[in-house]
Amino acid sequence: MKFSKFWLMLILSLSLVFVLAACGDDEEASGDTEEDDTATEDDATEDDGEDATEEDDDAEEGDSGEAQQGGTITAGMYSAPGHQFNPLFYSDAYEANILSFTHESLVQLNEELEYEPSLAHDWEINDDFTTITFHLNEGVKWHDGEDFTADDVYFTYATIADPDYVATGGVRTNYVVGLKGYEEYVNGETDVFEGVEVIDDHTVAFHYEEENIKMLFDTSFIIVPAHPFEGMEISEIPDSSASRDAGEVVGTGPYHLSDMIEGEQYVLTAFEDYWQGTPYLDGITWRVIQQSVMPGLLESGELDMIAEPNGVPASDFERVDGLENITTFETQDFGYQYMGFKFHHRTTEDVESGTINPDNWVENEKLSDVRVRQAIVSAINRQGIVDGLLYGLGSVMEAPFPEASWAYDPDAVTEYPYDPDRANELLDEAGYVDVTGDGMREDPDGNEWVLNLDYPTGNEVRERTAPIIADELGEVGINVNLRQPREAGPHFDAIEQDNNDFDLYLAGWSLAVGDPDPAGIWQSTAAYNYTRWNDETSDELIRKAVTAPDAFEQDYRAEVYNDWAAHVSEEVPMVFLYSADNIYAYNSALQNVKELPAGIYQDSHLWYLAQ
Amino acid sequence: MHKYIIRRVLQFIPMLFLVTVLVFGLAKAAPGDVLSGEMLDPNIPHEVLEQRREALGLNDPIHIQYWNWLSAVAQGDLGTSMQYANRPVMDLIQARVMNTVYLAIFSLVVTLAVAIPIGIYSAQRKYSLFDYGATTFAFLGLATPNFFAGLLAIWLLSFQFGWFPAQGTTSAVGLSGFELFVDKLRHLVLPGFTLGLASTAVYMRYMRTEILEIKGSDFIRTAHAKGLTKNSVLYKHTLRNALIPIITLLGFEFGFLLSGAVITEAVFNYPGIGTLFLNSISNRDYPVIMAINLILAVTILLGNLLADIFYAVVDPRIRYD
Repeated sequence: MKFSKFWLMLILSLSLVFVLAACGDDEEASGDTEEDDTATEDDATEDDGEDATEEDDDAEEGDSGEAQQGGTITAGMYSAPGHQFNPLFYSDAYEANILSFTHESLVQLNEELEYEPSLAHDWEINDDFTTITFHLNEGVKWHDGEDFTADDVYFTYATIADPDYVATGGVRTNYVVGLKGYEEYVNGETDVFEGVEVIDDHTVAFHYEEENIKMLFDTSFIIVPAHPFEGMEISEIPDSSASRDAGEVVGTGPYHLSDMIEGEQYVLTAFEDYWQGTPYLDGITWRVIQQSVMPGLLESGELDMIAEPNGVPASDFERVDGLENITTFETQDFGYQYMGFKFHHRTTEDVESGTINPDNWVENEKLSDVRVRQAIVSAINRQGIVDGLLYGLGSVMEAPFPEASWAYDPDAVTEYPYDPDRANELLDEAGYVDVTGDGMREDPDGNEWVLNLDYPTGNEVRERTAPIIADELGEVGINVNLRQPREAGPHFDAIEQDNNDFDLYLAGWSLAVGDPDPAGIWQSTAAYNYTRWNDETSDELIRKAVTAPDAFEQDYRAEVYNDWAAHVSEEVPMVFLYSADNIYAYNSALQNVKELPAGIYQDSHLWYLAQ
Repeated sequence: MHKYIIRRVLQFIPMLFLVTVLVFGLAKAAPGDVLSGEMLDPNIPHEVLEQRREALGLNDPIHIQYWNWLSAVAQGDLGTSMQYANRPVMDLIQARVMNTVYLAIFSLVVTLAVAIPIGIYSAQRKYSLFDYGATTFAFLGLATPNFFAGLLAIWLLSFQFGWFPAQGTTSAVGLSGFELFVDKLRHLVLPGFTLGLASTAVYMRYMRTEILEIKGSDFIRTAHAKGLTKNSVLYKHTLRNALIPIITLLGFEFGFLLSGAVITEAVFNYPGIGTLFLNSISNRDYPVIMAINLILAVTILLGNLLADIFYAVVDPRIRYD
């Protein structure tokens, strides 16, 4: 009796498993029929004939066959967005992923990383470079059918300049600080933001306090509609349904966020009234997936695209690239990983009061000899790191400009190939020799010379470089004290609040190349100048590159940046370790994908599935 | 009984207070805060981050911060997330809690349905081939880390055989009714079994040992001597007593399932409380950390209380007055 009960239970539970499994087969079968449906739909479009060819003219890049209407693709990202779909307040790269399809800016970056028209079809800049006037495209509609006008542009920038903007959680004030009347507006002294002038429905002017050579960058922020937020306090905006809920978020982009399952799926549906023409695809579904199963999902066809923010990890590249149904595209990331030298430390008082004043800084004499820094960069096998840890999918740099940038010139910089002999020579020359006979060099006064190396967890490749660097420096007799890694957040806090004993530290910058101006990180007084490098020549060149009127010529700026890059590579304020490639992968059936240095999302309304 | 329950519930208050003080203190003692990670984008002006810290109250002394949190919670307000642009914490939890509850229930049902019968059968057939097999399985189950078991299950049952979906809780938006139910159930299978694997092994061993021990006791011998049938002795006398330790375990289990699903949820990208918790810890999102901790503490305390009450039901010798 009891045996039969036991077996009954076992059989029951097993049969449940099989029933469920069988349902799975059904669903896959129905998935197939769905694809068939799409195919028939396409035939129908081809019958229409006229429409298809007309639209094909737009799709100039289409190399094979005609663009076909219909079909959806599934794209993957490794973490869920934080559910703030208002560009004014979004904070993470996953939200940015969705927003790239739902919202647009006045201007966008082209292949040469120069700005080209988007929502604005044309613009003029006045003679003294204080005003830029945009002419907006007419007939642009928001997802809810309202017209896009200059008032929306004003609303976007006025919100960022609002007194309550930062307290509400916004961080993008860099786009408005230079505008005329910002101080008065942010202090609540006036209700009219002078900096952005609505001339008529389709003309808007930005007025700057001083001449501004980066106006196009400063006006490239994503435009948000005014009407859904009408009558709202700024503090209510992030929590309103027009910022949070699928179906309520409104942009001008080719797709709108129509549905979502929190933490799992974000469904983008084609916007039929899109001003550049109805997208060919019916929609794009974003799924949140675990990175380790990504190649499997691409192979099985459950996933059609992996793009930003992390793309395909270098370690999976070979496998993904080998998949027959997948096309890959690699482009150098704009950011880079580096090992910083702490030239100076701040005093405790300065750290506590948040002061950045180079006059108070305390010099770190362990690293003040340029020959030491040149020796360190020569002793590190950076190409080896790229080949070994990044499977060759990365670049070694000598100055902080990516290859795609117009400010990049490989001939301008001093290169430091891996050369331990040269490192030894330089150190001997600088007087750092081993006097105690323990195999480690002492400083020129014969005192112990130990360099502390601090590094964070979180980025696996970077984490693995730390012991390699310590070893390689040890081989040329530099005594490196490799410390326990910290979590990324606290590590960066410690780099910033630097009244400590840091000498070398690992970190990285994630950069979006809107403008190559390095002032934000490299000007000696910049808060983000974590190396506390205080170099007059560098400061002067950085200023020179943005000083009117010469700087209005891009060629002139490029030349100054070459001089600056040459100076940086000579002085070695940091070791540029590598800049990893962004690796994108997408289904080979997906056509018309524009492979740009800034990513593959541009003109997604032209994407179509080849049958 | 009522008095006992009321007394126990009153004891919760100081315990919860201590738990929150401890967790708040520990969370704050860890270096860094929610804005630390944002320092990598030089386009964000540095002063803005300082203003944000001030606005979030992160610059206040720790006891003030705790007091602000406590007084808000006392009024039923769990606060807003610092990481998700001021989204209410309740909102974040509500969006995920049911997923975790489904997963917990599924895994618990599977655990008990597998572990108890096998445990009983193993004990009945001590040192048989089946018993050895079950023991081997139990140790394998205990020794296999969750993430490995999960990835193995994905590779085998999802990628190779295509039986079950590998990720998430549903395959598409817009499903409803029975279709949605089946779809959700199919998504539960792999994470549910993975999550239940270790506890299945534990329960199985407990069950076997308990039954073996009780079988040797005097009152069972008496029952046999009275002439009761084998089955009657097993189900009425042995099993009832053997279930007591299982109930103790279950009391803890529910809290464990709610919090301990972190790894499983991550492997299967199953959006529940576990992933939210992990994410809030790595981003130092204190309001979310505190809220989840509070909920877990209450669940575990309630689970234990329920276990104590069930003792009385299962074992007539136990009475609370």
